[in-house]
Amino acid sequence: MSSPLTTLLAEQAQQAARALFAEVDGARAIVIATADGFDLAHAGHQPIDPARLAAMVSSVSALGDAASRETGIGTPRFLVIESTEGRLVVRCMQVQGQALIVVVLTDRSVMLGLVWNRLAAAEQLMNAA
Amino acid sequence: MATLTAQHKIVFTGTPGAGKTTAIAMLSDAPPVVTDVRNTDAALGKENTTVGLDFGQVDLGDGQCVRLFGTPGQLRFEFMWQIIATDALGLVILIDNSRPDPLGDLAAYLDAYEALLPTLSCVVGIGRTLDCSWPAIDHFGDALAARGLVLPVLAVDVRRREDVLMLVDAVLIQAEMRASSDSSCPHH
Repeated sequence: MSSPLTTLLAEQAQQAARALFAEVDGARAIVIATADGFDLAHAGHQPIDPARLAAMVSSVSALGDAASRETGIGTPRFLVIESTEGRLVVRCMQVQGQALIVVVLTDRSVMLGLVWNRLAAAEQLMNAA
Repeated sequence: MATLTAQHKIVFTGTPGAGKTTAIAMLSDAPPVVTDVRNTDAALGKENTTVGLDFGQVDLGDGQCVRLFGTPGQLRFEFMWQIIATDALGLVILIDNSRPDPLGDLAAYLDAYEALLPTLSCVVGIGRTLDCSWPAIDHFGDALAARGLVLPVLAVDVRRREDVLMLVDAVLIQAEMRASSDSSCPHH
C-alpha cells in the first residue's frame, strides 16, 4: 500500500479531506479510504481512529454494493447511516482508476443534499488533479 | 404437511488467501454473495480481497440446511469477525500452510474467537499441505492441545467440494455430540 501512485493519491485525498471538512458546516470528521479498507487521508476535530473507520466503511460499502447487485438497482452512489446523534455519509467514487470511499461524519443539522453536492465536487476535483 | 428444515450457521474464517470465498462458492447451491474489492496491499499477493462477508447456502438433505458465512481475513476487519460469528453453530478456521507462520496464524484466530470457542463447534482446515508439508497436521494438533483444545484438524483443498463438505460435516458431528452430551448431562 505504498507505491508512487498511492503516495500521490494520498496527497490528493488529504487535500480533498481538508477541503471537505472546511466546506461542510457540521462536519466532525472526514476519512478517505481505499475500497479495501486502508485509510488514505483524514481531517476533522472529532477524535476517531481513521484506520478502524476506513475498514468499517469498506465493509459497509461492499455490503451495500452486494445488496444493490442482488436487487438489481445498479451501483450504489451514497450510503447514509442516520443515527440519533449524527450521520455517516459514505460515497463510493472512482479517482484515477482507483475505487475510493469517502466518509463524512456530521451532526444532525447538516443538509444531506449539501453533503452529496460537496462529495460530488470532491470527486471531480480529485479526478481533475 | 410442510417439513421443518433445520437451519445451521457455519462461519469460515482464516488468513487472507486461505480459501474462504472459494470454499463457500464450492458448496453453495446458488451463486454466493461476495463482497470482494480490488486489493491494494501488495504484500497480499492477490487481485481481489473480501472486505464484508461471503454468504452461501447449501441444502444437505434430511431437512438440514447450512448457511455459510465467510469473514474478511485481515486483522483490520476483526470487528466483522465478531458480528458474523454471532449465533453461529460452528466455526471453520482455514489456515494457509504456505504462509510464513501457519501456527502463529492459527494462534491469532484462536485468540480472536477465544470467548466464543466454548459454545462453538470448531474445525481447523489446513490448506496447501502438498506444497508445504511443514508444520505437519500433528503440530497443529499439539498447538491446540497446548491450549486445552481438542478439535479436528484436516488437510483440505477447498477447490474440492468434498473437502469443504468434510469440514462442514466435522462441525455438524461435533454439534450433534455436544447436543447429546448436554441432554444426557442435565447438570452440565
